[in-house]
Amino acid sequence: MSAVTAGRRTRSQLSFRQKLSNFDYKFSPYLYVAPFFVLFALLGAFPIIYTVNVSLYDWNLLKGQGDFVGLENYATTLQDPFFWNAFGNTISIFLLSAVPQLVMATIIAAVLDQAIRASTFWRMSVLLPYIAAPVAVAVIFTQIFNQFGGPITGLTEFFGLDPIRWGYDSFPAHIAIATMVNWRWTGYNALILLAAMQAIPRDMYESAALDGAGRIRRFWSITIPMIRPTMIFVIITATIGGLQIFTEPKLFDSSSNGGSNRQFQTIVLYLYEMAFPRRDFGRAAATAWILFLIIVLVGLINYAISRTIASQDITRVRTPKRAALTANGVRR
Amino acid sequence: MKLSRRTAVAALAGTASLALVLTGCSTDGGDGGNSGDKITLTITTFGTMGIDVNYEKYMEENPNIVIEATNLEDGGSARDDAYAKIAAGTGLSDIVAIEEGWLSTIAEVSDAFVDLRDYGIEDNKSDWLDWKYAQGTDAQGRVFGAGLDIGPQGLCFRGDLFEAAGLPGDREGFAEAIGGENATWESFFEFGQEYTAKSGKPFYHNPSFFWNSFVNQQAEGYYKKDGKTLNIKDNAALKGQMDLIVANANIGAGLPGWGVAEQAKNDEFAVYVCPSWMLGVVSGYYDAGTTDSGWDFADVLPGGAANWGGAFLGVAESSEHKEEAAKLALWLAAPEQQAAAFEAAGPFPSTLKGQDLVKDSVSAFFNNAPVGEIFTNRAKGVVAQVKGPEDSNIQDNVFGAVFDRVSQGELTTGDAAWAAAMELLDQLVGE
Repeated sequence: MSAVTAGRRTRSQLSFRQKLSNFDYKFSPYLYVAPFFVLFALLGAFPIIYTVNVSLYDWNLLKGQGDFVGLENYATTLQDPFFWNAFGNTISIFLLSAVPQLVMATIIAAVLDQAIRASTFWRMSVLLPYIAAPVAVAVIFTQIFNQFGGPITGLTEFFGLDPIRWGYDSFPAHIAIATMVNWRWTGYNALILLAAMQAIPRDMYESAALDGAGRIRRFWSITIPMIRPTMIFVIITATIGGLQIFTEPKLFDSSSNGGSNRQFQTIVLYLYEMAFPRRDFGRAAATAWILFLIIVLVGLINYAISRTIASQDITRVRTPKRAALTANGVRR
Repeated sequence: MKLSRRTAVAALAGTASLALVLTGCSTDGGDGGNSGDKITLTITTFGTMGIDVNYEKYMEENPNIVIEATNLEDGGSARDDAYAKIAAGTGLSDIVAIEEGWLSTIAEVSDAFVDLRDYGIEDNKSDWLDWKYAQGTDAQGRVFGAGLDIGPQGLCFRGDLFEAAGLPGDREGFAEAIGGENATWESFFEFGQEYTAKSGKPFYHNPSFFWNSFVNQQAEGYYKKDGKTLNIKDNAALKGQMDLIVANANIGAGLPGWGVAEQAKNDEFAVYVCPSWMLGVVSGYYDAGTTDSGWDFADVLPGGAANWGGAFLGVAESSEHKEEAAKLALWLAAPEQQAAAFEAAGPFPSTLKGQDLVKDSVSAFFNNAPVGEIFTNRAKGVVAQVKGPEDSNIQDNVFGAVFDRVSQGELTTGDAAWAAAMELLDQLVGE
């Protein structure tokens, strides 16, 4: 009893310094993270919520707020063939960029994970494209893929092939744009995956090697399952980035918003065209929210897929290929 | 504490983003009022307007003024930039160049710009062509744009290529060959067919220019005279021009409308519809000082004289130095400076005195063509057409898109091209 009261007394009789230190202990962490959340509230949360408001009105960019129209902006957008064209282009460019990018990034990371000479040099090198400004990358690649007298057109002419209409036909344009994205992001993703690979305990590889597992085998059965959480992170960020692609298709033909006939107009470019040249801010805001929902949806699908792929790998290790494994071991 | 790699990266990223925020702010606050007594005026222009040749002189005459100029690549970029900044209510340059195609959209929100009558534009009202002055005036009578140039049109052509093909290659000869004063688009394309047949080379680079030029020749363009009612569907004249252009797609080079320097040097086209401001575009494809490019400029336009384009200068209401900015804008739009811009890049003065100053001007690039005299002829009796709020949208995204498909051989009949255009029109503009 006396101990308890004594304890209480001590607490209430804390000196100012002690109180301050107590306060510091309890609240300072929040203060340290506050700048981010204050900035986020101002620059992130507020615009997001305000966009909902805008999307419910007939809202002209220049003349401002008009009549309340409810969900009409969403309905018109979803009925607009140009929106679905942009949706198709976005998915196409996303697949053409995300898939090869992640495959390449994983391979590069696996190579860099090996004991190679001058490893820092190689690691820095793969990050170099990421340092270049996206606008600069887009300008250079737009020249390379220039339908009229660019180097690739020169090559196809040299080999006597029909020129590819990079700026005019949808699919070649998508490939050109995906190439810019891949150029920029492959190395970045490779480094993130490399970090995950470095965290895998080396003795796992050693034991597997002792059991006779070859390099490829160890990669599929140890590396891939072990980097799964990072892989999911990379896939999700690639999804968010890939579906919001804007700079590359905008600059691929800067005088239009994704090609004169919308051959490579992505959803964000559609949104941009709606907001600025066409000045329909309400529909642009509605498009932003539709895009948000699409990203959440695709993100969830990717999350589900990447979970199953990686976990299948684990089960596959244990059961059917044991015979092969021993056979491998015997051969050695 | 050991600085881990991750914290180091985070710290770097933090500094970098802070730097971004800071630089972002400093561009806004560039009034320079505290560095001595200097006032910095910002001005945003586009394309090749030529008015930049006057900045140095103004700064010399007004040592307290520093001009910070931004030139955007084309009118479309300038339009989107101006729209975004008007919507945001901040960020407009002190002086903004406005293009005729989107002038009427700006007129709807003209209070984003000062009324230049408050700064004395009325004292010199008689300088300008009446219609040019009227274009920069909104429905309430506020003058929000000071006229810079107008766009009387002639034809830029490659005399050397025509001569090599056995066709008349001098100014008068070429003009006569396509019909002189009575030249029609039909006779123009006939000449083109002959050129391509004889030379084996394409005649023009992109068909949309003949379209835009033709639309501007009509008494009423995409809109009726009220500037509100669309005038496209059931417009037999427009449909007829569409048929004619598509039927002559075989002599086109299938190139984009702009940025065709390499192809120009490779003789891949031999003609360019040239409103005054286009002279700078064509000569811009070559190194400065070039005089042997083969380009010449003829006093002729199929279908008769017409105005295509032209620019205005507005002073932003949000400017911190409206007085000084308006003074500079009016100075830049004054006859002497319009004349200097014409000498530099070709945009023809919208002031009578300015036109008089350049009437003897010749262009070394265009085979010493008397451009001043030719444009004076081409501008006679020309009045700009009434534009509506979606004019530039219709030009770029409806017909521009269709002619891109025509030039790529995707649309091969006038009917198909017209149908495609009407479909786009319904999507983009509605009724």
